[in-house]
Amino acid sequence: MKKKITIGQLLIRICLLTAALLILIPILNILAKSISNPKLVPYMSGWQFWPSGFDLINYKLIFSNSLVTRSFLNSLFITTAGTMLSLLVTGSAAYALTRPGLPFKKPLMVFFIIMMIFEPSIIQEYFVIKDLNLLNNIWVMVLYNSVNVYYLILMMRFFEETPIALIEAAKIDGAGELSVFFRIFLPLNKIAFMTVGMFYAVVRWNEYFKSSVFLQTRDTTVLQVFLKQFVVNGDSTAIASYANVDLTSLNIGSLKAATIVIVMVPILAMYPLILKYYTGGVMAGGVKE
Amino acid sequence: MGKTTAKTAAKKKCQMTTWQKVKRYKWIYLMLMPALLYFVIFRVTAIIGMKLAFYDYKIVGDNTFVGMKYFKMLFDTPAFWNIMKNTLLISSIKIFLLFPFPVMFALLLNEVGRTKFGKFVQVVSYMPHFLSWVIIAGIWIDAFSQGGIVTEIMKAFGMEYKNLMVSKSAIIPILTGSEMWRSIGWDSIIYLSAILGISKELYDAAAIDGAGRWKTAKHIILPALAVPMVTVLILNVGFIMSAGLDQILNFSNDAVLSRIDIIDTYVYRIGLVNTQYSFATAASLFKGIIGTAMVLITHFISKKLTGTGAW
Repeated sequence: MKKKITIGQLLIRICLLTAALLILIPILNILAKSISNPKLVPYMSGWQFWPSGFDLINYKLIFSNSLVTRSFLNSLFITTAGTMLSLLVTGSAAYALTRPGLPFKKPLMVFFIIMMIFEPSIIQEYFVIKDLNLLNNIWVMVLYNSVNVYYLILMMRFFEETPIALIEAAKIDGAGELSVFFRIFLPLNKIAFMTVGMFYAVVRWNEYFKSSVFLQTRDTTVLQVFLKQFVVNGDSTAIASYANVDLTSLNIGSLKAATIVIVMVPILAMYPLILKYYTGGVMAGGVKE
Repeated sequence: MGKTTAKTAAKKKCQMTTWQKVKRYKWIYLMLMPALLYFVIFRVTAIIGMKLAFYDYKIVGDNTFVGMKYFKMLFDTPAFWNIMKNTLLISSIKIFLLFPFPVMFALLLNEVGRTKFGKFVQVVSYMPHFLSWVIIAGIWIDAFSQGGIVTEIMKAFGMEYKNLMVSKSAIIPILTGSEMWRSIGWDSIIYLSAILGISKELYDAAAIDGAGRWKTAKHIILPALAVPMVTVLILNVGFIMSAGLDQILNFSNDAVLSRIDIIDTYVYRIGLVNTQYSFATAASLFKGIIGTAMVLITHFISKKLTGTGAW
């Protein structure tokens, strides 16, 4: 009897380990290829998760390309500025909507939920952005997605748990609504802001489709769009501006791998934080993305 | 005494006109303004703009009303029905075929308990959920290329190398596989937290009754998973009109396009690339109306059955 259980446990572990390795190895393989000696990369198998030789030439080359540095900075700007804006707009709306006795709360919520489930066509969104004169203006992707209604509702759930008495006390002391929000409410709900901030940051960093439609000039390209052109479409003209390089010493596969890593790194760097807040938020709020 | 004052206060509140109430909340409404403005400027105008489906688009001058012309055209286009078929097929595979895997994954994870190994599997399996489809496509294309991990596995089974990314018969399995690769871990969280929510007494009672691992799983864990399973299934059906735009844009190529062209990719291509604005808007509006109805219906069904809706 006891032996049977151990065999079962062993099988379970083998299943889980296989799944984990099938997820992890392709990612590690890309990482390994990006830091290997380009001459050895063609001989690397897909299983190999350690580098062959060591060379940072791929990264040097990629960052010497003005298009890459430009789109990296663009993505970074959109993600940070956009996340802050989203938090401010979503946070203050969630605060307002959770004030007890707010008149017209019901119709307001209906409005937000309609906005959540009925998505306009990309054609009309494009026209709107064009009419606002925001096409090929990097701010468009900062403003776009200022509020995501799922996250608004998640935030409202957090806020509903803040004791009302604290706010009432502050108001009696003569604090106005705005100062109550910034000075008392915000610090009390740090976890809510961190959680929803993670949600927004991941969405914004990963945004591909809308960026590719709204930002089409070289100066406004974002990293995901560049990655799609170069790695997915295999369009090497995207990197044609590598000057004075002996092309025979290069391997296009390892250059692609390095590009993938660059786009992945910010997410991986945030991953511990993501696990702490994002996963916790999903567990607590039951929000489906 | 206290009671009377409370009563008069309540009366006073009732007597307040709506306008007075709104005025009392003016700062609160001001805080709501940015969110409302955002939706009015970016969303409402775009939604109203979708009336273009009933008009001929003119670059100069007013658009002319043409009624259902573009819808008739849409329904008479054979390509559109192929696209509908693709959309429903791909999203159904994702909704139904992939449905059991996160459940099984959560069950297995629960069996290893809170060990270091269990944590490792969790941390690794959640990761792909945070990677964009562009990155995932990059990784998968590499895995399917010569020397890639998939090619190596196929070689081990005696299969010859073939670029499956451009194979019509392989592309839908590839979409399915990559979706599973990305979300098996993440989608199991909801089930895992349901399992973790089972009270210890229930396990103890089962142990006293002499239930082994299998019986415990069957009579205690699976019933606890019933509610989240039904919720996930119903709510996912609500999104049946969206088969995954970002994924398909990144896994698509000329060789396989006819197999995986979905409404969203079609609208983008016909509308923005080929500039047939009215026709594409009609397709988009068709999707929007059915999609919204599906989300609403499934939300209310799920709310009624399980108490949890889409929001």
